Amino acid sequence: MELLQLLISGLSQGCVYGLIALGFVLIYKATEMVNFAQGDLMMLGAFLAYSFINLAGMPFGWGLLCAIAAMASLGVLLERIVLRPMIGEPPFAVLMITIGLGFVLRAGAGAVWGNEPRSIISPLAGGVVRLGELSIGYENLAIIGGTALLCLALFGFFRFTRLGIAMQAASQNQLAAFYCGIPVKRVFSIVWAMSAAIAAVAGVLLAPITLVDPMMGFVGIKAFAAAIVGGFGSFKGAMAGGLLIGVVEQLAGLYLPTGFSDTSAYLILLLMLFARPEGLFATMQRKKV
Amino acid sequence: MHFLFKTSYRQDTRLFRHNGQRFWYGLLLAGVLLVPFAVGDFYLGELALVFIYAIAGIGLMLLVGYTGMVSLGHAAFLAIGAYAHTWFLQLGWPLPLALFKATVITALVGAVVGLPAMRMTGIYLAIATLAFAVIVEQVIVHWESVTGGFRGIGVPEPMLFGADLGTPVAFYFLCLALLLLCLLLALNILRSPTGRAMTAVRDSEISAQSMGIHLARTKSLSFALSAGFTGLAGGLLAHQLGYLAPEAFTLLLSIQLLLMVVVGGLGSLHGVVFGALFIGLLPQVIAMARDLLPPAIGHTPGLEPGIFGLILILFLIYEPLGLYGRWLKIRQYFALFPLYRKSTFRRQKHFLRTERMR
Amino acid sequence: MTGVLLSAQNLNLSFGGVQAVREVSFEVRRGEVFSIIGPNGAGKTTVLNLLSRLYDVEGGGRLVFDGEDITRIAPHDVARRGIARTFQNTELFEHETVLKNLLIGRHVHRRTHVLSEMLFTPAVARQEVAFRRIAEDVIDLLDLQHYRNQVIGRLPYGVRKLVEVARALCLQPSLLLLDEPSSGLNPEETEDAAFWIEDINQDFGATIIMVEHNMHLISVASNRVMAMADGAVLALGNPAAIQSHPEVVRAYLGD
Repeated sequence: MELLQLLISGLSQGCVYGLIALGFVLIYKATEMVNFAQGDLMMLGAFLAYSFINLAGMPFGWGLLCAIAAMASLGVLLERIVLRPMIGEPPFAVLMITIGLGFVLRAGAGAVWGNEPRSIISPLAGGVVRLGELSIGYENLAIIGGTALLCLALFGFFRFTRLGIAMQAASQNQLAAFYCGIPVKRVFSIVWAMSAAIAAVAGVLLAPITLVDPMMGFVGIKAFAAAIVGGFGSFKGAMAGGLLIGVVEQLAGLYLPTGFSDTSAYLILLLMLFARPEGLFATMQRKKV
Repeated sequence: MHFLFKTSYRQDTRLFRHNGQRFWYGLLLAGVLLVPFAVGDFYLGELALVFIYAIAGIGLMLLVGYTGMVSLGHAAFLAIGAYAHTWFLQLGWPLPLALFKATVITALVGAVVGLPAMRMTGIYLAIATLAFAVIVEQVIVHWESVTGGFRGIGVPEPMLFGADLGTPVAFYFLCLALLLLCLLLALNILRSPTGRAMTAVRDSEISAQSMGIHLARTKSLSFALSAGFTGLAGGLLAHQLGYLAPEAFTLLLSIQLLLMVVVGGLGSLHGVVFGALFIGLLPQVIAMARDLLPPAIGHTPGLEPGIFGLILILFLIYEPLGLYGRWLKIRQYFALFPLYRKSTFRRQKHFLRTERMR
Repeated sequence: MTGVLLSAQNLNLSFGGVQAVREVSFEVRRGEVFSIIGPNGAGKTTVLNLLSRLYDVEGGGRLVFDGEDITRIAPHDVARRGIARTFQNTELFEHETVLKNLLIGRHVHRRTHVLSEMLFTPAVARQEVAFRRIAEDVIDLLDLQHYRNQVIGRLPYGVRKLVEVARALCLQPSLLLLDEPSSGLNPEETEDAAFWIEDINQDFGATIIMVEHNMHLISVASNRVMAMADGAVLALGNPAAIQSHPEVVRAYLGD
């Protein structure tokens, strides 16, 4: 029974990793840029939700929507100011700039909201669902449910909408996309807006579990590992990787000595890189000369 | 402007391209040797730290700038070098031997890390190094017999033939001497087939292979060399810190090292020195500026990394060639005055063409 | 000195569902210039990639070079055996100078190792001088003196193609694989290509396998031609015979 309980919390933690990883993969698929600051975007989303809900007194639903909208705009702003000049630069430079961005966001959040952990007033707090001996918190259900909904929406978006297809084109050959009349720069802005919005949702979902503070974004590093385990560039992979790491972490905490739980994400990552570097759902292949 | 006519093949391989260079670098060396007579103990300590960062930077530059492999966890090699060196000193080994052994051990670890690197590219490798750094941190915390775990261990004073090299002046010269040695070794590597093989791997793996370059061996070697230099810096850092604890070797330090390499100017050893000066002296500048800023900003704990991040962003957008690049541009400006053209240094944009196939 | 230098037997390769190369067999004699022609998608570059071991031969195919079976050797060992190649879309070391690129071509002749290089021993210095001598010979052969110290990124396309060839020559190969040497070149440069191909073959003494589209260049420069279409060999013979071969004409012009 304890095992099943752990599995559930592992799944919900894994969903959060997966959501953040989705944000990474979204940006990567569309722009082939790696956004190391994804975790910190999540942190900002959580803080904004805190401001809207706790400080401004909005109801939970409205606060969440406002946070999503605010983050989306912030995503566009960041893309314009920081990432747009980086179009055409080597991937290493882009990685470094997002690392820098992460630092700036963290310092900014610390300056504006302070460093004590906060919690967001939520209607889901404390409620539990009982299935026999199992008790599942409302938060966990919300995480798993919310993640599933989001995944479905994204799937539909990329498969069926014009914008989604344009994004795929822009990610595969920028110059050709330009020539086809796709407004590549606008597409990038939209991608960043979407990714930031997803990060906001992830932040609000995670807040009850880890509380909101500037260091919250470090979860992003594990999410990164999740994206790689799943195969960087694949949505399914991001989710799968996240779930895998979430579950293994919980199990490691139970069965293995201390210290392994923290590092299990990285050990899985290294194992995957040894055994199958392309990840679970591979999207990389050899360059054709 | 200096037009260089080469009259022999040997001239092409020399470290100094012409006598003018020899003169200026000689002057610089003289200046650096005379600094202890002009400056107090505190700044000598800071400069020694700059030299130590520069040695680590040489290691990181070889890996990132010359072989094109990103490492987000280089602080781990500093840690390995520092702890190994301290361990050997405690066993009673003399200073040079302990430093040498620590360097070799770190290089071996680097080679091992480099082995799987062959199968990874770009971002995957970066994350793998990050994962490696986290694991090393855990090892340090749990291997108490050697590292003292959370409590840490004290580092003995550096003694050579009975003389205490721990005094500010002596330590300054020790670090300087080792930096000069490392610069020489690195320059030698870069002007020889090994260095060329590394840049070949960076620029085009496929044609490097067609030229007979063993990819796995080159990458592993590059990691080993990089780790070795950084391990040496770690050994010196141990003396600088005086006391080793896991908190000294964090992700932030790894990012600082990368910052040094990027801000200094990727792809040149000059860049390493510029970068080391920058990150060595930046904390002082921030400390001074702290009091000038409004308290809300000035006293947040995240200020230093925040400023690092901001500087990183500004450099990457506005001066991607780094401080050394800016220095070259300034020199070019005066050399060609008034005919300097900005487009001489214009970067070529490479529009994205994905290498992912579904 | 005649005799078979390279023997390719039953080469097969498919990508996903597409059979790129189908039962291709041929022999290349020592000292000849052997061309491979065919419409786009015929599998010509794939054959070159198989020869230089960038792809693995499927099934029971074999590659025998100078009497030695090289079907399973590693890609970096190909150069060691004396086979050098150029690429269809030049794969040069973009951030280095022309001279550095050529020096990398000498890598297989390196006799020193990392430790002695770190100390830059006299042996290393001597090796560097020797490498530069050979590089200069190649620069002379291909008239690249003006570009010696220029970074590749700033060079025009025609010069880049020459640098690719020069780099391959620095290996002092016994077999040189050229992938579309005249593509992207203007008529003058293409005329020059005929000359330096001949120089490489005669003065340098390298056997050449050349994938080409330019029929004039082929008829002027090659000894034998192999025509391919849809991954299979259509015909093999001297240039004149191939050009008038009915199957070849049909493959190029369609039915």
